[in-house]
Amino acid sequence: MDKRFDYSQAAAEADRCLLCHDAPCSKGCPANTDPGKFIRKFKLKNIKGAIRTIKENNIMGGACGVLCPTSKLCEKECCSSELDRPIRIGKIQEFLVRYGKDIEFQVFEKPEALLEKVAVIGSGPAGLSCGAELAKKGYQVTVFEKESEPGGVLRYGVPAYRFDKELLSQELDDIKHLGVKFECDCDIKNPGEAEELLNKGFKAVFIATGLWDAATILSNPPDGVYNSVEFLLNSHTEQMDILNNEVKNKKVAVIGGGSVAMDCAGLASKFQASDVYLVYRRSFCQMPAEKDELFDTLEDNVHFMILNQPKEYIKDQDGRLTGIKLIRTRLSDPDGTNRRSPVEIKDSQWVLDVDLVVEAIGNKAFDNSNDLYPDVDVDDKNLIKASLDDCQTSNKAIFAGGDIVRGPSLVVNAVQDGKTAADAMDSYLKKGRTNNE
Amino acid sequence: MNKNSIDLSIDFCGVNFKNPFLLSSSPVSNSAEMVARSFDAGWSGVVFKTLNSDTVPIIHPSPRMYGYGYGRKKLVGLQNVEMISDRPLKDNLADFLYLKKKYPGHVLISSIMGFSNDEWAYLAKASEDNGADMLELNFSCPHMAVEGAGHHVGQAFDLIEKFTTTVKECVSIPVIAKMTPNITDMTEPAIYAKNGGADAISAINTVSGISGIDLDAIVPTPNIFGLSSNSGTSGPVIKPIGLRFISDMAKCDELSLPLSGIGGIETWIDALEYILLGASTIQVTTGIIHYGYDIVEDMIEGLTDFMVEKKIAKLSDLVGKALGSLKTTDQFDLKRQGCSVYDLEKCVGCGQCYTVCKDAGGFALEWDEKKRQPVLIEDKCLSCMICSFVCPVKDLITFKEMPENWKREDAVVMDESLKTKIKYEPFKNFIK
Repeated sequence: MDKRFDYSQAAAEADRCLLCHDAPCSKGCPANTDPGKFIRKFKLKNIKGAIRTIKENNIMGGACGVLCPTSKLCEKECCSSELDRPIRIGKIQEFLVRYGKDIEFQVFEKPEALLEKVAVIGSGPAGLSCGAELAKKGYQVTVFEKESEPGGVLRYGVPAYRFDKELLSQELDDIKHLGVKFECDCDIKNPGEAEELLNKGFKAVFIATGLWDAATILSNPPDGVYNSVEFLLNSHTEQMDILNNEVKNKKVAVIGGGSVAMDCAGLASKFQASDVYLVYRRSFCQMPAEKDELFDTLEDNVHFMILNQPKEYIKDQDGRLTGIKLIRTRLSDPDGTNRRSPVEIKDSQWVLDVDLVVEAIGNKAFDNSNDLYPDVDVDDKNLIKASLDDCQTSNKAIFAGGDIVRGPSLVVNAVQDGKTAADAMDSYLKKGRTNNE
Repeated sequence: MNKNSIDLSIDFCGVNFKNPFLLSSSPVSNSAEMVARSFDAGWSGVVFKTLNSDTVPIIHPSPRMYGYGYGRKKLVGLQNVEMISDRPLKDNLADFLYLKKKYPGHVLISSIMGFSNDEWAYLAKASEDNGADMLELNFSCPHMAVEGAGHHVGQAFDLIEKFTTTVKECVSIPVIAKMTPNITDMTEPAIYAKNGGADAISAINTVSGISGIDLDAIVPTPNIFGLSSNSGTSGPVIKPIGLRFISDMAKCDELSLPLSGIGGIETWIDALEYILLGASTIQVTTGIIHYGYDIVEDMIEGLTDFMVEKKIAKLSDLVGKALGSLKTTDQFDLKRQGCSVYDLEKCVGCGQCYTVCKDAGGFALEWDEKKRQPVLIEDKCLSCMICSFVCPVKDLITFKEMPENWKREDAVVMDESLKTKIKYEPFKNFIK
């Protein structure tokens, strides 16, 4: 993980920006953070204006600066790539948001909350973004969070070494400053409870509960097999020391090739595992994680075991994990259209001795998640059905966004869903007001 | 022709310099310890930091400089309020003896500034007696508040002549007069210096300016404990001013003295530009303040390679070579017109050309949103070429001449019908 930019690094980087007409980077941002504009402002020494642009467009601008796979978004579109290399937009964005705190710059005026009460369930990026936008519009917003502190995946799903909680607190302070109330340790889990909020004075509800169940690879895992959700969650709670002890000086295998797998492998390495293996059934270049993450993970001394498919866990007589049986794979012949898929190589099974496995192949919704909102339509994966244009569900007063609608996705997409939903909720509530007149 | 056949040496007022590159009188030539290192690096001579005669104590303000940056680039300009040498005269003269002993082949030019006729004579004599090969009369230090000193002399032309005459009468070594640019026409004071007997002119000293304001204190920079002053600006930002004054003097037949070019020189190209406009030596300070003495290596190497490429063996053959094409604007051939040419193969799609053409040019570009490329409408191109100045790709946008019968489109009148409503009579020139 390379270092944060300081003022001079950020200014030097911004100075490289070509200030493109119809800035392609801005078009590349799913949350319309508008890097073309904030970098121009920074370059022309309008630094408060630059911070204002970021935060007004993207209340989680700091988090996105750190966590966005920028090489696949804004930086992918950067015209400077044609000259030498793209502008490090994420780094500049992170710097500017942090700098706002350094200079005690308060972007937002506290709005008057004179409009209806609205509820947000879940305080991850989608919920926070929606809550902030609604508060800016003048709504009385309450965010319900089941954990003891707000942040959702930003707090409990990303290792601390990758995203520091100081920046999260800073952005939460901005949201609290806007008047958003947080109810933590408030698990909305009883059947229909999400919808009941509408009977408790809340005129609209935004569901942004995210995905907190883990997809599994092999059934009946023995002791010593974690899924990524519990592994990362434990690294943030009082379980951290226990987890650290469990990992230290052990051989750990992480299964998966995405961003979460890289986080788990990186975390195992930070917890001083003796060896960390990353097991992936396809090729290196097919890993969904961003290139920078892959190389950071390599530099964390993680051994990449590509083209290996897990077949079976090996355990001792106490039922404790001792290894994984893997089979070597090759990629199917290219057919010019599809992503080449892994094909098992006959008789190539082998056993990798490990003490601990983390399955990191993706998050999913809990099977019973729709009990909370029985009137809201969900699909066969228990994802809420809502159009990304307005985030409205089959219940007109209930909106939803983020991973619980999209499936596993990016923080920046969740932020955009929050903005979209806030606009749609505002229209919906305005309509209600006009009808009542 | 190869590198070895190139002769960078030059005769300047009868003194031989092994190359045209000198330190100018400034912090970079403050002591023999420094100058010796510069000679080792390749500089052919030095104009030593202006001597003082120990009559008034010299104390430099603190802080004494401020850097003027632009974007990532530091020190495109430098502001300084430094005074003449604050060292005792004896120390400076001892350093003269040391330099002449250790570096007999290098040229030592003593810069002097007096507050009275006698003081000019005293310092001139002391310099010659202790080995100076030449003198430079500092008529241009912009930090002298006293009438009759520094740039106040440079602005009072009869004093230039008077002090030059005084110095020439008491020494036999060549005398250079250093000019201030804080006037409109430099040839006039230069001729006064010539009439006083000056053998050469050096220019320019720093341009009087203000680099900026310390916004916390609301005090211009450098902020000297709550106060500041108009003071000397130097560095790349002043090169255009220096080139202009040197060329003015080089073209002045009445003057026809050797010139030493100063102002914003960092690279061999900067130096060559001064030479092509008439300077036969060049002096550097701010370039050294920015990068150190070693830049002379690149000046020597770059100039040599240029001369090999152009098959010019002697540096003196380059002096003033660009002057012939420098005319007044009324002599241009306005019948010949051209427009820009775009090599879009190289385009990176930033569209800066489109923005500036639209907002500051002739609206001659359309924007192909899909390809992210400009589309040039030749007939509207003003040939201002601003697009080429903002384009990040080298040689993507160039200039071409258009055929004789080509006519540029007039700028659009938004509403032709309003022409019937204008209050207007054609201008008649009654004074014939």
